[in-house]
Amino acid sequence: MGGLRTAESLRRFGYSGDITIVGGEKHLPYNRPPLSKDLLAQGKDFDAVAFPIKDSELKAEFILADPATSLSCHEKRIYLASGRNLEYDYLVAATGLRSRQMHFPNNLKLGRYNLRTFDDAKAIGAAATPEKKVVILGAGFIGLELAATLRTLGCSVAIVALEAIPLSPILGDDFGLAVQKRHEKEGVQFHLNRSVQDLIGDQRISGVLLSDGEILECDLLIEAVGSQTNTEWLEGNNLEMGNGVLTDNSLRAMRIDKSRVEDLFVVGDIARFPYLNIALPARRIEHWNIPVECGKRVGREISAIEGSESSSEFKQGEHFNPLPSFWSDQFSISILSYGEPKIADTISLLEGSLDSEFIFEYRREGSVVAVAGIGMRRKISALREEIRL
Amino acid sequence: MIKIQVDMEKCQHYGQCVYEAPNIFQLNSEDKLEYIATADDAELNNVKEAADVCPMQAITIVQ
Ligand SMILES: Cc1cc2nc3c(=O)[nH]c(=O)nc-3n(C[C@H](O)[C@H](O)[C@H](O)COP(=O)(O)OP(=O)(O)OC[C@H]3O[C@@H](n4cnc5c(N)ncnc54)[C@H](O)[C@@H]3O)c2cc1C
Ligand code: SF4
Repeated sequence: MGGLRTAESLRRFGYSGDITIVGGEKHLPYNRPPLSKDLLAQGKDFDAVAFPIKDSELKAEFILADPATSLSCHEKRIYLASGRNLEYDYLVAATGLRSRQMHFPNNLKLGRYNLRTFDDAKAIGAAATPEKKVVILGAGFIGLELAATLRTLGCSVAIVALEAIPLSPILGDDFGLAVQKRHEKEGVQFHLNRSVQDLIGDQRISGVLLSDGEILECDLLIEAVGSQTNTEWLEGNNLEMGNGVLTDNSLRAMRIDKSRVEDLFVVGDIARFPYLNIALPARRIEHWNIPVECGKRVGREISAIEGSESSSEFKQGEHFNPLPSFWSDQFSISILSYGEPKIADTISLLEGSLDSEFIFEYRREGSVVAVAGIGMRRKISALREEIRL
Repeated sequence: MIKIQVDMEKCQHYGQCVYEAPNIFQLNSEDKLEYIATADDAELNNVKEAADVCPMQAITIVQ
């Protein structure tokens, strides 16, 4: 998605050179959020999630199902799995994340699922017929959304997670508890402060053994325990990697020796970019609006270097400082968040009540770093102006 | 003039579009999206931005 958004922005700002978009999956770019929500709930097909692409405007070549395997910054060339290689003037790295996989002593494969891609969602949709017993490992956003969707489809759903309260590391205890209560009312069971120790069954999963010795029956185990960055192909270029790729404030990749690579930009989930106003190390943000904002910026920056974008509104090298935004739908609740609640030192309830709609405000060292709530979208949106990151 | 369409089957009323093109998109007092279906060419860039940031990709523009 970050790749497509960069290409669109390049054309919008007048870039006239060739654009090639390389993808590891066989599909054209698509929208991931519906995978855990409508797509799964309504059994829709690829068309429902494909991004609209205007070929006549984009004029880009797509190379699909052929992932990049290595890069030489020095030769300005990337190598693909098929053996093909491509030379570039500018490279934009937008390879996103993959689901983290657990490893168990009885490491069965049948009946285990992850959710990151369209094909993953289709596989879960086909297996999760009503009455099936689903265990979801992880109580983050994807785990909770899946719980809501599969419960609505008639499955029995249990969530197993290490934290004491779902979402509390991100949104705080009170917010997390409010979400947990709504889920429990709809019949989702929580097994918190616990993890899955082993799988039960031969060949196919029939149950899971929890760390406290309890056994849950299980037809489908979905692991929603976070992700890993797809950045192996960038190794060997002395880039500052570890957790994604460190960038400077214009999204150019940084080397270990703190110099920057002028022609390598990093966008979306893998970009670890610096704050403007907060004294914290650079961070990655796994929100949908980040590849949108990164792509727009990088396309414009390259067009400016190439001379097709010369608007006085745009300054090359200006600090990239997007406002992260996030939403999540679970049963009838809609969560909306602006900013970075995770970095707050004080959380206060601004409005509403915890059993219906509400807004929390998140501050760090006195200034507002996020607002988030359930419902009250108009009010939450109005408050985004106050956020300083 | 440009014509704006929002697929109300897709729209989840998040209001991200409101920020990009406040003259066209508004959330009403019930937190539901309301929008103006035709607009001046001057709004084109704002509406394009709104279409980009719409998480449900529900906005289409006809020129
Ligand atoms: C199920 C689900 C639900 C979500 N819901 C929400 C939500 O409600 N709200 C929200 O804000 N965000 C949500 N997100 C997060 C959001 O979708 C991501 O932040 C966004 O997709 C990141 O875009 P990206 O371009 O960085 O990466 P991606 O969209 O992951 O794209 C990366 C692309 O790179 C390809 N690739 C990987 N390795 C290689 C390689 N070596 N060579 C070539 N290509 C490669 C991949 O196949 C993929 O096509 C959700 C994500 C998922 C998975
Ligand atoms: S951004 Fe999209 S989903 Fe949100 S209110 Fe606007 S049209 Fe609807």
